[in-house]
Formats: sequence, C-alpha cells, structure tokens
Amino acid sequence: MTTTITGFFTDTSVCIGCKACEVACKQWNQLPADGDFFSGRSYDNTIHLEATTWRHVAFVERGVSLSRQSTARPFSWLLMSDVCKHCERAGCLEACPTGAIVRTEFGSVYVQPDVCNGCGYCVVCCPFGVINRREDDGRAWKCTLCYDRQKDGMEPACAKTCPTDSITFGPLEELKEKAKKRLEELHRRGVTEAYLYGMNDEDQPGTEGLHAFFLLLDRPEAYNLPPAPSVPTKGVGGSWGMMALGLAGMVAAAVAASRAGGEKR
Amino acid sequence: MIHARKETTGREMEEEFAVLTGEAAGQRLRQAEPDAGGIVPLWHDVPSLPAQAGDYYGLALLKEPVWIWSVPAYFYMGGVAGGGAVLAAALHGKRPLRRLASWCRVLAFLGTTVGPALLTYDLGRMSRFLNMLRVFRPSSPMSVGSWSLAGTGMAATLALLQGDRPSAKPANLATALGGLMVAGYTGVLLGNSANPLWQDRRRLLPLLFISSAVASTAGVLEMMPLDRKEEGGVQRFGMAGKAGEAACMLAMEHVHQSTPEAATAMKKGKGGVLWQAAKVALVAGILVELVPGRSPAKRKISGALTTLGAVCLRFALLETGRTAAREPLAATRPQRRKMGG
Repeated sequence: MTTTITGFFTDTSVCIGCKACEVACKQWNQLPADGDFFSGRSYDNTIHLEATTWRHVAFVERGVSLSRQSTARPFSWLLMSDVCKHCERAGCLEACPTGAIVRTEFGSVYVQPDVCNGCGYCVVCCPFGVINRREDDGRAWKCTLCYDRQKDGMEPACAKTCPTDSITFGPLEELKEKAKKRLEELHRRGVTEAYLYGMNDEDQPGTEGLHAFFLLLDRPEAYNLPPAPSVPTKGVGGSWGMMALGLAGMVAAAVAASRAGGEKR
Repeated sequence: MIHARKETTGREMEEEFAVLTGEAAGQRLRQAEPDAGGIVPLWHDVPSLPAQAGDYYGLALLKEPVWIWSVPAYFYMGGVAGGGAVLAAALHGKRPLRRLASWCRVLAFLGTTVGPALLTYDLGRMSRFLNMLRVFRPSSPMSVGSWSLAGTGMAATLALLQGDRPSAKPANLATALGGLMVAGYTGVLLGNSANPLWQDRRRLLPLLFISSAVASTAGVLEMMPLDRKEEGGVQRFGMAGKAGEAACMLAMEHVHQSTPEAATAMKKGKGGVLWQAAKVALVAGILVELVPGRSPAKRKISGALTTLGAVCLRFALLETGRTAAREPLAATRPQRRKMGG
C-alpha cells in the first residue's frame, strides 16, 4: 500500500496577509519568536524564511494596477505565503552528506534532526534560499510539511488555519487539477496576469516540479522567488570532468618534478 | 462589464510628497536589537519608493554560506595534503630526492589529520562528525570528499609509517589516488551549489583548486632547506602550479558575460580585498622566483608569498560567495537571461 503524495497549493490571489499561517506554524512546531524587528518598509517584518520561520508572508506593494481592478491611482497589493517548496529534485537532499535529509512517504523533503550534524552544505545548495542552520542548536531546519500531523492523518497547521483557503493541502494530483481550474477561472474573469509557478516539470525543469507550488500575479522576482531555479546537481558532471582534467595535469607536474633528481635508482 | 475609471477624485495625495529627497532623507534606521548572527543582512537604508518588480525590497534571495574560518583553512590544508600525496608517490624510490619525498608524506599526513579536525570544528554538532560516513551519496561532493578524506588519511598514515622502503609503494599510490580527490573535490563542492558566483564558475573552480594545491604544496616545500636537486624538483612542480593558478584566477575574473551581477561581488568588500591580496601575493611570488640567481632566501620569500596567496585565495572564495548571496539580482537575472526574457 503506497501513501498518497501530498503537497501545498498556495493561491496568492486570495491571500489577505493575515499571517495566521506564520503563527500556526510557529505554535505547532514550537519555534522561537523572531524578536521584535520592525522593517519599516511594508507589513512584512518577518523578512525571509529562516531556520525558525517556516512560513513567511510577502507583501508586494506596486504602483501598477491588476487588470479588472479599479483604484483611484494605479496601485496593487500582492500577498503571498512562502514556504519550503519540497522540490521533486531537491538541492538540499542531494547535497546532504549524512543522509539526514530524506524523501518521506508523503513525497516531502524532511530533515531528520537526530542525524543532521550541521555541515551547512544544504544551505548553499538550496536555490530558493529556504533552509538554514540554527545558530543556537547547530542543525539545519526547514518546513517538514507537518510530517508529524500527516502521520496522524491531519493537514499541516498553516493550511488548517488559513482563513481564506489560500493555502490548500491535499494529494498533489488533486491540487494540480484544482490549480488549473482556478487559473482558468481567473483568466475567464480577466485577471490575465495569473499563472502557476513551479507546478510541474514543464513549468520548472530545473527542479522537475514543486510539491508546494503557487499561483502568482507578478513575476517571481517580485515575491523574491527565483524565475528559473535549478537543482545544482544538474550540470555537476562538467565539474567532475574538469577536475579529472586538472588532476591529469597535477600528475604530470609531479612526474616532471620527480625527473629533476636526474638518474633513476 | 468594464468600469469607467475616474480621472481623479480630488482627494488623492500627491505621490511626490511621500518621496523623501531632502537632506535628512538618508537617515539610517537604528535596529531595535543587534542583528544576531547576521546570516541574512537586513538593509539599513529605508527606501520610501514602492518596490520595483525586479526584486523584493532588495532583500537577499539566497542564504549565505554559514561556514566559518576553519573551512577555507581546511581548503588550504587539504590542497597541500593532496599535492604532497601526489608528489610523494612520484618521488617514491628516487634516491636523490628521498628527503623531499619524506617531507611530502608528512604534509599529506598532516593535511589529512588536521583537515578533518578543522572541518569538524565548523559543524553545528561536532559530536556527530562521524555521520559524514553514515551513507555514501554520489550526488553530494561533500559526501564523496568525506570518504576520500577518511581513506586518504588512513593511507597517508600507513605511508608515513612505512617510510621510503620499496614495499611502501602501494600505500604511497593509494595516498596519491586519495590525494588527487582531496585536492580537487573542493572545487566541485563549491561549484555544485546555488550560489550564483560559484555556480557560474563551476567548470573553473576545480582547476583553480587543483593548480592552487600544486602551488601551495610547492610553497611550503620552498620554505624548507633544500639541496640543488630537491630545489629543481620543487620549482618545476611549483611553476606548473603557479602558472595554472594565475591563469585560473584570470579566467575567474573574466567569466563576466553571463553573470555581471555576481562578478561585482569579487570586487566588493572583504572578499574583494582578499581576492586582490591573493593575486598580488601570487604574482609577487612568481616574480621573486624569476629573479636570476640561486639563493635560499629568495626561494623562501617566494614560498612564503605563494603560501600567503593560496590562503588568501581560499578565504576570498568564501567571502565573495557570501557577498554574491546577498545580491538578489545576481541570482535572478542570469536565470531570466537563460529563459530569454
């Protein structure tokens, strides 16, 4: 019996920026508070995903109107709840030397805290800048897609609490159907900017699709998402090849050096 | 149904009034609390204009490497160990260069024992350092490197104990094979990351690390007392390494076409200074070596300069990587260009 592959579909067109997901995540996972940093430039005082912040709501304020939106001045306010993407080809997982990062039966990418030794390699290998090492505890942490809740048949805390159902959780295939329907609906209404980010292999060949994908209303960069992220492992073959070439030169240099002694024994 | 949009309501604020352009506009925001750890920088200048759709308030997209000084220090030690291991195997059984070979074996041993200690010191959980050998993961250069380092350490210890008797050849060869991996994998490791600067130079980094490993091994040996023949051997090895390192550093600076944003990180801040220092020390080392005439003092100065340059280079790579990670456009623009739009 196989478990269903689950994921998140985050529809940013209905996000109201209430940050309930941030709070629910912190509470369920018993993560420490971020302190009282005040950014002073938008309602986003969380700033970015962190080792102790697994949901982050981005607030994008633009001097451009969305289509079919009427405001006195051109203006729109885009909100998006960001999270670990649980990539199909995950940079962190492929980089982890201890085997601490695993693919769970739900298809999510999970860091086993009892194995991680805090080498920090996953931190530089995540093309989304999600995972990080905690200063106080020395291990890498990120969203677990509420592995513990899923084990008990519950949905993740952020999706459970989301008042507008911007964050939906469920079997990945169902979510994809739902996302396509929602996109059609928005396009029918004239919101032509809407598109799906990273839903499958075609959308994002670099990661071969995300288990936590998004419906966005502006370019990915506006939300601090990479437009075409790629797992670093794609293309590492060339590095190994160049290494072999360089090592041949190294051997040649050593052999040349050994000839300096003149006569052989 | 389309709404007719009103031109004005007569109540809206003039946008210009909200833009701070006066003398006091450059005020710096005092942080409510010191930025603990400072892994991701928080910007201090408050922009009062709405965000442009090129980035998200100029905030970093990627995370900076969390590695501390001991990692670049290991990069240097590992390079010397690799170079020493390969040279020791090449010199094995060459009677006139016996002393040089034994020094190389010591370098290989020291690098592969002190190196892992330095790496362990950087770990968030030092007590779990053995987890590095819990699995073997070919997709992770760090896993490949950990196994290589462990194997090379054992082989280097054996080679050191066996000395220069003929029966030590297998141990020497094993150390050299491992040493090749140890000297080269670090370049692949940095290249196999999401960091825009390292990723863009993933083909060059292995060559840079290898040539610099050769140069830094020679740099250490040049600082030792050597006779004529030994000096000849070390200089051949060193010149190959230094020439390669200079060429690679030049190439590192000139892979601009695809990522000018990341390339600027090599000129800014601490990383830029270290990179320049590495360049100056390397060139100075080469020039001193090219001065005609033989003298131990000249050779030792050249070796010291080469060593300094190699150490600076390792730290420069980490620091410039940090700078590049802070720049969101360095991550997004190259991807945009590849998408063709």
